[in-house]
Amino acid sequence: MALRVTTQRRVLQGLGNGVLVLMLLWTAIPFYWMIATSLKHDKEIYGYEATLIPERPTLANYATVFRETPYMLYLRNSVAVAVGSTVLSMIIAVLGAYAIARLDFPGRALLARGLVFTYLVPTSLLFIPMFAMMSMLRLTDSLYGLTIAYLGFDVPFCTWLLMGYFKSVPVELEEAARVDGCNRVSALVRVVLPMSLPALVVVTFFSFTHAWNEFLYAHVFTSTTSARTVTTGLVNFMSQDVFFWGPLMASTVMSALPPVLMFLVFQRWVVKGLTLGGVKG
Amino acid sequence: MATSTTVSLPLPSSRRRLGWRGERIQRFLTHDRTLGYLFLFPAILVIVGLVAYPFASAIVMTFQEKTAGAPGRFIGLDNYRELFSSEQFLRTVFNTFIYTAVGVGLKFFLGLSMALVLNQERFCNNLFRSFLLVPWAIPTVMSALNWRWIFDDASGLINNILVRLNLIEETISWLSNPHLAMLSVVAVVVWQGTPFFTMSFLAGLQAIPKELYEAAEIDGASVLQQFKHITLPRLQPIFITAVMLSAILTSAAIQFVLILTNGGPADRTMIFSVLSYHLALGGAQRLGMGAAVSLIFFPILVVFIVFLTRRMLREKGE
Repeated sequence: MALRVTTQRRVLQGLGNGVLVLMLLWTAIPFYWMIATSLKHDKEIYGYEATLIPERPTLANYATVFRETPYMLYLRNSVAVAVGSTVLSMIIAVLGAYAIARLDFPGRALLARGLVFTYLVPTSLLFIPMFAMMSMLRLTDSLYGLTIAYLGFDVPFCTWLLMGYFKSVPVELEEAARVDGCNRVSALVRVVLPMSLPALVVVTFFSFTHAWNEFLYAHVFTSTTSARTVTTGLVNFMSQDVFFWGPLMASTVMSALPPVLMFLVFQRWVVKGLTLGGVKG
Repeated sequence: MATSTTVSLPLPSSRRRLGWRGERIQRFLTHDRTLGYLFLFPAILVIVGLVAYPFASAIVMTFQEKTAGAPGRFIGLDNYRELFSSEQFLRTVFNTFIYTAVGVGLKFFLGLSMALVLNQERFCNNLFRSFLLVPWAIPTVMSALNWRWIFDDASGLINNILVRLNLIEETISWLSNPHLAMLSVVAVVVWQGTPFFTMSFLAGLQAIPKELYEAAEIDGASVLQQFKHITLPRLQPIFITAVMLSAILTSAAIQFVLILTNGGPADRTMIFSVLSYHLALGGAQRLGMGAAVSLIFFPILVVFIVFLTRRMLREKGE
């Protein structure tokens, strides 16, 4: 019987290798096409002379993006909004999560529930009233408006994630610090935060990439070039009359790079944070 | 609850020597109730201002005829009445269900297969795992743009290859053929979303104690039996969480459809988020109608949201 199971395992291993190859191809081919297109001359991209592999690779498309489009401005806007909303949501979430994890006050459980609930309400249910609100407050076409709007997603999520980590820091350590004369605030800063470093990294990763990737709010709240982020800027390139796929793919490659690199660096922690409750499907 | 009980310790004598003001601040900062509300105040402000208030005003809007920047006019249930008698809306409801069900179903199936494969031992497995997860890390807008180019009628990758292999004579319009458009959009959704399932399921698989399989093997259980009686039951809680979360986010995701087909051809790929976008921000700017479209779907979403909220808090020991 044992032998039979070993044979079964060997068959499964072979099958697994086959499936893996298919999965790798399915994942890799779109990447390949994106990168290959960005390195081609127009002649190799369109028409009868179109190629599958760039015959004379060129960086001309990348040069075009920087020379002829406001891509640099979009990039700057994305960085500004991402950094701004990450810092703000981090501060708000650390304080909120600490209160829920460690302090005892009426309404605590209700607030915890409210936070998770808010995180799960998708923005496609909220963008219309948010647009009306932003127009009323004159926060459309503004990086401040966008930074604030992103807190609506980042704060609930970060608070929820940090809450769990804070709870895992032994209370005794904090009590010891307080016996030594620390108050709540300094105990949080000196004991709890240093011990939650992995969680802080994950939270930073998620709020930064969320702001970087977000499309709907950025698209709805901005109508001029000045406050466009990378995602809306690129979609705008596409919806113009001429489809210039070479430069478009060049800017796509560049814009996808920061989150992908961050993901590869922080992967171990991100996967752990994600499997604690899941992020985007 | 157990972790949050505070032991009120007597203040060390050095602190007692602080002045009147210092002592008041000190006392304030040791008081759970005041400190709790103080710490949570910014978060509450965010929830109320950026989620609760907009949501409430969306409900009000659905009973109004309203454009941006102008006050609305109360029209009762007219928006809802108009929607339910519109063929476009009924088609949208149908499309949204198909899109979500097929998308989540395929992501689940592929994600589980990928997780099982990656859970086997092999050379360079970690590298493969990292690579297979990358589509999830790419901004969805970038993936959608890339796929729009892959599906391109004249020079896209798929038509390019099919023509080369002499499999077709005329190029195929993947995104504008009424029979193919939905399928194409779902393929992109699946490409982008499968890694999320892979990650969740792989973490679940790795948490199953090896001893269970060893014991089953000694008892003569076949690999299939082990899968059925150990793997599946152990993964079930993760299945439920992942499917629900993905159903909420897939049904509500707007960028794939908006970028790939914009709801066309002839509303074949119109889903509720895109319809709501078109009604509210397309030419006529009917904010009330747009809000009504999303709100009709909210009762279904809320069942999932409430259920998930409970699960996610239980994980955190609330």
